[in-house]
Amino acid sequence: MSSPNYAKPGDYKLGALMVIAAAREVRDNEIAFAGTGLPMVGIMAAMRMHAPNAHLVYEAGTTDSMPISLPSSVGGPRCGHKAAVISGMADVFGMLQSGWVDLGFLGGAEIDKYGNVNCTCMGDYKHPTARFPGAGGNPDINALAKRTVYIMVQEKRRFSEQVSYATSPGWRVKWWDKDGKMEWVNRKEVYGKRFNGGPSAVITDMAVFRFDQETGIMYLDTVHPGQTIEDVKNNVGFDLDVSRCSGETPPPTYEQLDLLYNEIDPEGIFLP
Amino acid sequence: MKSKKQISIQEAATEIKNGDAVIVAGFVLWRKPMAIVYEMVRQQKRDLQLLGANPGVDCDILIGAGCVKIYESNYVGHELFGKIGNNFARAVKAGTIICEDYGHYHGVLRLEAAAMGVPFLPSFSCLGTDLLNPEYDMLGQAGLRDGSNPRIPREKFKIVTDPFYGDGNVVLVPAARADVCIAHVRQVGDQGTVRIDGQRYADVEAMKAAKKVIVMAEEIVPEEELRRDPAANVLAGFRVDAIVECPFGGHPGGVYGCYDADGAFLTNYNDNGSRTQEDFERFAQEWIYGIKSHDEYLDKVGASRLMNLRANSSLKWSTTVKRGVR
Repeated sequence: MSSPNYAKPGDYKLGALMVIAAAREVRDNEIAFAGTGLPMVGIMAAMRMHAPNAHLVYEAGTTDSMPISLPSSVGGPRCGHKAAVISGMADVFGMLQSGWVDLGFLGGAEIDKYGNVNCTCMGDYKHPTARFPGAGGNPDINALAKRTVYIMVQEKRRFSEQVSYATSPGWRVKWWDKDGKMEWVNRKEVYGKRFNGGPSAVITDMAVFRFDQETGIMYLDTVHPGQTIEDVKNNVGFDLDVSRCSGETPPPTYEQLDLLYNEIDPEGIFLP
Repeated sequence: MKSKKQISIQEAATEIKNGDAVIVAGFVLWRKPMAIVYEMVRQQKRDLQLLGANPGVDCDILIGAGCVKIYESNYVGHELFGKIGNNFARAVKAGTIICEDYGHYHGVLRLEAAAMGVPFLPSFSCLGTDLLNPEYDMLGQAGLRDGSNPRIPREKFKIVTDPFYGDGNVVLVPAARADVCIAHVRQVGDQGTVRIDGQRYADVEAMKAAKKVIVMAEEIVPEEELRRDPAANVLAGFRVDAIVECPFGGHPGGVYGCYDADGAFLTNYNDNGSRTQEDFERFAQEWIYGIKSHDEYLDKVGASRLMNLRANSSLKWSTTVKRGVR
């Protein structure tokens, strides 16, 4: 096999690198939940690369569809093209809850080192300084899928020691006793027999992070071309484990760029 | 002959009373009964309790116009066309609405419980998150969970242990029992039989969760037509109180098989029509208060714009709308 024809710096945009990094997280034959935006581009790219037998699920109610025109929303008509089933949310969330979904892609405004994600507000919940749209399906997918991958913007204030509001559960989570007293506990204790998995990777505009299987703590896996480990550390608000950094995130290949810009998103909706 | 169930947009909005628990069906920017939502704003509804699983521009407009007292759901935004519902965010920050946050699936289950006629349903979702933080029960904090209001359950949620299979922690979420559901679909029969094409979202549960059901449709068709393929229908006409015919009634949202969401309109609403209360007042004056009828609204949007949004009858989406930068 010939070596990959990686695009040179300057020949690709960060968005393309992030989408291809996301696509690499999809394995063939997997059942993947796609959210609006880069996640759906990533899964559709994976299905044209190494995962032709992956199954795409949209939370508004389509299972195993084969879009030929990139949906701009998970509730839009393009999601239904050649679907096995068009149903509703009770159906697809029920499928998620019964453990069928291998992978979900998610976003978020803020994340902590255990992968708890905030999409609700900044500051005190009862008197927030900023308010975001709210949970959406984020906690459902993160609680019930086997693996989740976050796509986020890398900023110090977004990678926090503790998130303002834990909308979506990470590897160590908040738990309240009968008297309402909170303690941090291992996710497996809370989910018990219904534990399926949890956050697996975080892809940002600077790097790719993963979570230690034992401690559930985030570590740096790869750094995007043009960035240094120091740059990444400076944009993380907690003490980041960089000891396991395996090198540079591979850039997209020219073939992958062609796929993204000419076949999947020719209109420039998510990849301007 | 006009159907006995058919009412006007104005009459539909009149059916919604101040203080009602209301579900606006649809999904964020799809199949939203916007013509009725606009009319609710014109009629200055007050103190509404918004339930439902998929709010979007409908909810943000109702909040901006001061119609809402209680919001219980999981997301207000416009997806690609605006990350955050600006009016919603401003109202939560200012404390002018009571915001009860749930996860998406719990929102769906709350409707399903009401649709099934049971008080609650169980799930494993959201365990270990602030959505289940006992301190963050906002209706409880406001003293409204005393059982005196039949639309407000005594608890936001309850965590119990599975008594049957030993599956451990289970969250129970209360039924969302609504006074009214307003929905928008492509076709409804003249006796009220409801057909949904494409994704059903949580609409079937939403319609069944409310005491009064008002279904707006792009077109009212003869019952016989819908009864040729009953498997595609989702609700019998005897469960539907009133029907409204309103082509492009979902604009600026889209309708499967009819037209795409008007992304440019939604982006403009997000960027220039809701960032501040003054922006919203200007938007509302231009697109709601200053407009007397749905026909006038469509004229203002413009024929060529609507035609570009119109779905290709084979593909079910628009092949002419400009969506991206290329």
